[in-house]
Amino acid sequence: MEIFGQLFINSLQISAAYILFSLGLTLIFGVMKVVNFAHGEFFGLVLLLIAILVPWLNSPSVPLVVAYGASGAVSILATMACGWFLYHFAFKKFQRDMVGSFVLSVGLSLLIQGLFLEFFGGVPIKLPDLIEGNLRILGGAITTQRLVLTLIALLVAVTMCWLIAATKLGKSLRAVSEDHEAAMLQGIPYRKTALYGFLIATFLAAIAGALLAPVTVISANVGSDFLIKGFIAIVIGGLGSIPGSIIGSILIAVIESVGGYYFDPSLATLAMFVITMLVLLVRPKGIMGNG
Amino acid sequence: MKNLKQVYAALALAALASTAPVQAQEIIKLGISAPMSGAAAVWGLGMEWTAKQAAEKINLDGGVTVGGKKYNFAVVAYDNKYTAAEGTKVAQNLINRDKVKFIVGGIGTAPISALQSLSERSGVMIFISAWGKSVKGPQFPLTFTQSNTPFEILDPLYKYVLAQNPKAKTVAILNANDASGKEVELVAQKAWAAQGVKVLSSNWYERGTTQFQPVAAKLTEQKPDIIDLGVAPPADAGIVLKELGVLGWKGVKVLPVGTSATQLAQIGGAAANGTYMGYAGDYSSSLATPVQQILNQGMLAQFKEPLNPLQVSSYDSVYALKAAMEASNSIDPKKIAAVLPTLVFETSYGKTVFGSKAIYDSPQQMQVPVMITQVQDGKMVELTRIIPEELKARLAAAK
Repeated sequence: MEIFGQLFINSLQISAAYILFSLGLTLIFGVMKVVNFAHGEFFGLVLLLIAILVPWLNSPSVPLVVAYGASGAVSILATMACGWFLYHFAFKKFQRDMVGSFVLSVGLSLLIQGLFLEFFGGVPIKLPDLIEGNLRILGGAITTQRLVLTLIALLVAVTMCWLIAATKLGKSLRAVSEDHEAAMLQGIPYRKTALYGFLIATFLAAIAGALLAPVTVISANVGSDFLIKGFIAIVIGGLGSIPGSIIGSILIAVIESVGGYYFDPSLATLAMFVITMLVLLVRPKGIMGNG
Repeated sequence: MKNLKQVYAALALAALASTAPVQAQEIIKLGISAPMSGAAAVWGLGMEWTAKQAAEKINLDGGVTVGGKKYNFAVVAYDNKYTAAEGTKVAQNLINRDKVKFIVGGIGTAPISALQSLSERSGVMIFISAWGKSVKGPQFPLTFTQSNTPFEILDPLYKYVLAQNPKAKTVAILNANDASGKEVELVAQKAWAAQGVKVLSSNWYERGTTQFQPVAAKLTEQKPDIIDLGVAPPADAGIVLKELGVLGWKGVKVLPVGTSATQLAQIGGAAANGTYMGYAGDYSSSLATPVQQILNQGMLAQFKEPLNPLQVSSYDSVYALKAAMEASNSIDPKKIAAVLPTLVFETSYGKTVFGSKAIYDSPQQMQVPVMITQVQDGKMVELTRIIPEELKARLAAAK
């Protein structure tokens, strides 16, 4: 029983990280039909900025939690500005151009990773824990910090689902995602909606980075490590589908956790790729379809 | 202390000399292929830094004299990201584009195997720290290993750990799922079995893994007395140790490739305490030579990490190369490689030689001490230092 609790807890905390990451990826694809390989770099930028700002701000007069909060806010804003810049000067010109945007985003990803290495160096950084202590839930162990961050991540994901399902902006995003020409005929401003979609996706990557900052090891290529899992999640769930990205993220988290325990972590990774291939063969549009 | 002051004075003079006009001399490029990003970044960055220190010092001392001609060294380093694919690109860059004939530092069996497939064909001499046995032997006459490998480390390390923890009877092993991990795992299995310890499970993880909770759950599954983290670099090992701590596992922790306590303790926190390491040394202690103490201070200033054997190995290989060039009176890698195993040369550890023909069928292994250390209260403590018997015998014979 204890081990099932542990596997559940492991799956929960892993899926929270993947959900936040893959939501942004799928949103950009849905709205702009752009497969953004540079998405991980937004995530990485936040982490690297926080890694610099927290030690700089933290002092006897500035408690750690304040340093984290201020660093997180500044880093998220800086990343959003970076996202806006990249949208205007790069991605806007390659909307609905799968090949062009693929080449663009891969090139940008390599360029940004090179810049990260140049400016931040390659040495991995671990920031101090924000909350100390461990908890036992359903017989499984988890750090208090991980639990809090997981709950916040799930809250952000739920808010995102609500935003997409119930708000005017969400409806615009869904309409554009389904048929952008029909949406424009209905008076929905496509370019503005695409910009909002891109910025929301950047925000999600930034939030994921900020939330994971106290629990992850930060390095210049941390974004690409998450990117692969994020892509697997949205391919399985359905490119462009918000519920699909959540289902895909949970599925790969369960495979990683349960498969890693009963078989081998490497076999679990292999299983993710096999399942991706099977899904593509049986249901090419993913579990929830596109959009 | 007196020696240390002399070295400081020499370095100060050298720094002053560096402001003088440099004599026009031919440049010999020295390559490095090592991870400079990701979990093992500090190894590659440190290796590049120590190689540059050696090259600068040699250049300031007048360079390398071959056939009455003076040569200066220049270090060219690339990030191999610990993967075969990147290792291939780095090999192409170094050998075909930069025309490098000597590679003084290489980390990772997979990227180094990729490098070696080109270097041996191209007549390029390489000094590497790859742990795999498969990269050495008479079929690779231009390859030399500049630091200890599992074949030198594991037996003395495991013996020591068991002497300190006589009740430990079972072990679970974790390794990265790549060429380094696969080769080391075989040696580790045999070495534990030879000590009468039962291997309960041997586990693998992919480099680049970000979530280690499933790995930790798997490792503790059979309640082993010892967990051996194999070739996991400090950043990965630190996370695994932290997750083991969360699960409440309290056993003997061994990290054969543990190179320093700083990153391990920073990432693993209190859970890193007690970890035995076989690949670290306290280069700030009186056991270290003055050169090593200065390099250690430089590493701390530059990377906030103390010096480790992997990083210092490229410093030693630059000096080994200089000695062999001057002894062979040639800059031809083949002639230099033929002379090198016969020499006694200076390194940061003092005088040493290449040997271990009994293990590799060819004397390609630099003989340096095995240093066993432990993380105690977040700091590394050197427990013992073992000088190889072959080195003792060769130095005695040379006298």
